[in-house]
Amino acid sequence: MEQFFYLVIVSGAIAGSSTGLLGVYIVGMRMPFIGVCISHAAMAGSVWAALTGFNPIAGAIIVSVVTSMTLAAIHPSNARLDTNVGLAILFSLMLGLTFLGIGLEQGSRTEMLSLLWGSLLFVRTKTVLLMGVLGLVLAVFTAVFNKELKAILFSRSLAAATGIHQGFVYCLFLALCGITLAVNLHAIGGLMIFSLITNPAAAAYQICRGHKSVVIISTILGALSAVGGFLISFYCNLPTGACIVILSTIFFGLAAVYRLTVGGNN
Amino acid sequence: MNSFLHLSGIKVRRHKRIILDIENLEISSGEFVGVIGPNGAGKTTFLKVCCGLIKPNTGTVKFENIDWATVGCWTKSNLRKRIGYLPQAKEYNADLPFTLREVAIMGRASVKPLFSPLNKNDGSHVDYWIERLGLPEQQNQTFRSLSGGEQQKVLIARAMIQKPVILLLDEPGSNLDFTSKYELRSLINNLYKRTGITVLMVSHEIDLLPSSCKRVVLMHQGKIVNDGPTNEVLTEGVLAKAYQHSLKVVDIDGYKYIADSDRNES
Repeated sequence: MEQFFYLVIVSGAIAGSSTGLLGVYIVGMRMPFIGVCISHAAMAGSVWAALTGFNPIAGAIIVSVVTSMTLAAIHPSNARLDTNVGLAILFSLMLGLTFLGIGLEQGSRTEMLSLLWGSLLFVRTKTVLLMGVLGLVLAVFTAVFNKELKAILFSRSLAAATGIHQGFVYCLFLALCGITLAVNLHAIGGLMIFSLITNPAAAAYQICRGHKSVVIISTILGALSAVGGFLISFYCNLPTGACIVILSTIFFGLAAVYRLTVGGNN
Repeated sequence: MNSFLHLSGIKVRRHKRIILDIENLEISSGEFVGVIGPNGAGKTTFLKVCCGLIKPNTGTVKFENIDWATVGCWTKSNLRKRIGYLPQAKEYNADLPFTLREVAIMGRASVKPLFSPLNKNDGSHVDYWIERLGLPEQQNQTFRSLSGGEQQKVLIARAMIQKPVILLLDEPGSNLDFTSKYELRSLINNLYKRTGITVLMVSHEIDLLPSSCKRVVLMHQGKIVNDGPTNEVLTEGVLAKAYQHSLKVVDIDGYKYIADSDRNES
């Protein structure tokens, strides 16, 4: 009981803080839909890997990274296609592939369907370790490429025009985004990832002044949403995923109210 | 004066339509060139072709005798570190809570190589330009809370912090009230006089061209209609070719202003 409890808390904290940190860049680049798109790519990868007898996590990582790289190839000024439209097209393809895979499964579909909402309660120690390592890699990546990521957030075209290696950093970011989401998918599921990417970062952007504080607040709110949501669901006997999503939305609501009433700092 | 930027036989097509068609254009080091023309004349495309952001379908663009088409992405980025660029407002995300300092120091992010973090020395470049542009009191405010004129100053600081050899200004006066516009004109004039940097300034408002601008390129429907000394190009007869409207050029203290001479509004 105790070990299960702490494992869920740790995996929730890692998944929440990783997605909270990713959200700073994803929301800042105005493409929150990427969470849904890549997590569905990871789901398609998992489902097809399970169908063909491969490791589902490896399948999820491969398909997510391929999808991320496809997104990286879409540059609005060259492709004349908005990144969000590209995301929507890829998302529909991945959703189709996921349900096609689920439809082809002859045995029990429960495990496959659990990918939709994830299963924080049944996460394995090995997966938590992998999530922890990836969370650390993500934190190091954002620290090392901090100056480039900030310039990309402000304007990709201005960064490109003034000699920042934005294409390289953007591709690396999307690849890391794909891997992180694929691994976290097994703990928090495709739909919850979307909320944990969007809400903590959107809340931080409401109340913070300066990029550093946005990063810190969004990461903390992500972890608080996942852990707090789990604790509420545990003690009130409510569905875990729903509690996490609603709590993260409440954080955003509080931040928005704070900005409207106190004025925030900007 | 040596050739600094050379465009020859340039054609840029979009959806089977030629949006930029330049036979030959040479810009020397240290020149201040104004590029004017009505909306849709191809001015911004021209700027992006100059810095290698848009690859023309035919023709060559040489920046400091290096043809953009002959170098790879990595070298292109390194060459662009010498280009200061002031984009139009729609090209950057002014909603993010970056502070003024954070936006300005992005100029150093352009110059510094990957894996090289910003340090105190970079901060001192920012201090110098913030002081010089009269923004020390606002330096910890968010970029989004500044007025349009102040935002343009910050972006000029961002560009100058790079120590560029050429400054590309894309409609710097758009969305500014007339006081801010003329303050910006005077600022650009002083910067040019003190640094002697090559400036290419795109504007659809001729009154924004500073007195240092001795050469004007007039564009219409992607083509250069006229290229010559400011006083010869900014005349009613020449301008009417591009604007296709009856207009009057008024000279006040050496600055040219366009007035509508067709008073029949019915």
